[in-house]
Amino acid sequence: MDQPLLTVKNVSHRFGDIVALKRVSISAKKGEFLTLLGESGSGKTTLLRIIAGLETPTEVDNIKLSNHDITYFPADKRNCTTVFQSYALFPHMSVFKNIEYGLKIRKIEENQRRKKVEDTLELVRLTGFGDRKPSELSGGQKQRVALARALVTEPAVLLFDEPLGALDERLRVDMQVELKELHERLKMTFIYVTHSQEEALTMSDRIILMRQGEIEQEGPPHEIFDRPNSSFVAQFMGTENIFHGTVVSQNGEKCLISLNDHELEATWYGHENLQKGSKVFLAVRAERVELNPGKKRKNLFEGTVAKTIYKGKYSDHYINTDFGELKSRVWDKSSLQESEILFSLRPQDIIVMRH
Amino acid sequence: MSQNRKNKFRINKMLRLIPVTLGSLALFFIYFPIFWLMLLSFSAEPLTGIPGGWHFEWYVDMVYGADRREGEAFVGDFQLKEPLTKSIVIATLTSLLCMVSAVLVGRSLPKMKSQGLLLFGFLVPLMVPGIVVGIGMFLFFRIGLGIKMGTWSLALAHFVWAFPFCLLVILVVVSRLDQRILEAARDLGATKTQTFFQIELPIIKPGIFAAGFFGFLLSFNELPFSIFMRKGDMTLPIYLWIQSGAHNSSVPLIFALSTIITIISMLVTYLIVRVGFGKE
Repeated sequence: MDQPLLTVKNVSHRFGDIVALKRVSISAKKGEFLTLLGESGSGKTTLLRIIAGLETPTEVDNIKLSNHDITYFPADKRNCTTVFQSYALFPHMSVFKNIEYGLKIRKIEENQRRKKVEDTLELVRLTGFGDRKPSELSGGQKQRVALARALVTEPAVLLFDEPLGALDERLRVDMQVELKELHERLKMTFIYVTHSQEEALTMSDRIILMRQGEIEQEGPPHEIFDRPNSSFVAQFMGTENIFHGTVVSQNGEKCLISLNDHELEATWYGHENLQKGSKVFLAVRAERVELNPGKKRKNLFEGTVAKTIYKGKYSDHYINTDFGELKSRVWDKSSLQESEILFSLRPQDIIVMRH
Repeated sequence: MSQNRKNKFRINKMLRLIPVTLGSLALFFIYFPIFWLMLLSFSAEPLTGIPGGWHFEWYVDMVYGADRREGEAFVGDFQLKEPLTKSIVIATLTSLLCMVSAVLVGRSLPKMKSQGLLLFGFLVPLMVPGIVVGIGMFLFFRIGLGIKMGTWSLALAHFVWAFPFCLLVILVVVSRLDQRILEAARDLGATKTQTFFQIELPIIKPGIFAAGFFGFLLSFNELPFSIFMRKGDMTLPIYLWIQSGAHNSSVPLIFALSTIITIISMLVTYLIVRVGFGKE
């Protein structure tokens, strides 16, 4: 059961002098929704293309799919299909023919082909669009055809290369929900490449965050979001406040950090122990800052509200503190009257990260 | 101040007239002679060079033969059938050769390292005088390869002449083809051969037809190469060339024939451009 469906071991890739991947290993379980997250140039798309067989890696130990070694298989012999960002629909074929293509190649008998295509059209909510040409569809519809074309062949792994990148905001949000539902219904294995942390958090079972050809952190969404292990991950996942500090003491998760002569209690999720006096980063999310708390709170500090920006759903307050500017997000309407305020940070909301 | 601005405005207006005038002149020099020739082909006394006295006699002559009016001033033995057939056969061969080789070369060229230099190499025949290449090819074919002059030598020579044009056409369609579409086909399980025949070929088909058509037209109208490579064969341009220099001139018939060929060529070119390179 826990045997992974897909494993990639120590893959490295170079484009000329540019290193795209440095000895990366990943695995995906059957039925998992795995997201490769990263900015452009992080190597996530290259990794996906290597899995699909569209790119031959410079070096690799092996790639295994359903216990078969597929390291040197060409793209057409691998049981995985890709949904491309550019849709890559065949312009000279109708929607029906596009979706049917993979089945035709697999020599599936015509009646069965017709039924499968019709079923898949229904699945992506495009019933009745079979006779259209790709040029007669909107971006969202094209994306659905691309999805249907990949789905219909029932691959062991379905690969997504930033499939929602070209769609507008609202459509993207709708498609995220649709993809997630589809994944739950079909119980297929999805490997999804994106640069959007929001997409990754919404849909994934597990996220692999990549940076400059290496894996920076991997884990379930809440772990990546709440327990970043580096300032890069914290920033990428949208953590607003990052400070430099020095370790005073550490006992398990409990950690005392000195920050410009202030000491505060923070949380360390790493497995190894931290050296006393070593430099660390601290990450605090803006919405976790508590303003005007009770007097008995831990990590209680004074600050001055420098400015407030109204954002509609919430307001951001920028507070000058002894250890730098702190951003605080408040969701209720009450505005801050006084400029001198007290604020507190709960120890479990201050994440200690290695320098 | 205001006077100054007015003058500037006037100068700008005059400067703008220069490209318009030059462009119109160029168009005039391209189309007026052709138009004049067409008018003459409907005229009673075409050899005077002045149109007038309209009739269709020359077109009728072309079909039924000029000798039906034996008593008249110019009796020619204007025999269209043989040179026309020969030209069509050679043009068809050239066109097929062009289509196949331009597709093969055009698809591989963009993937090569020194593609710029290679492309230049393929395009040089466009810049060398046809007579020079013609003599060279004649010697090479006869002495070097021992090929007998005839239909095939003509087709080969025409191929050398037409290939650069066809290659350019194919390069345009190939460079416009989204490579990711081919990757998608491979990704869906199609082999390289299947991808080529089921996806790539249908998409670039209009370009291939256009290349074939240009190959046909270029061969059909070719004169300088043909002079050397023909031996006894008579192509249409050679025939027209000889006839227009002969004493018992059938020049009026040439006017009529040229008019027909020009109109057909223009129509077909227009259709090909519309169908092949129109909106997608």
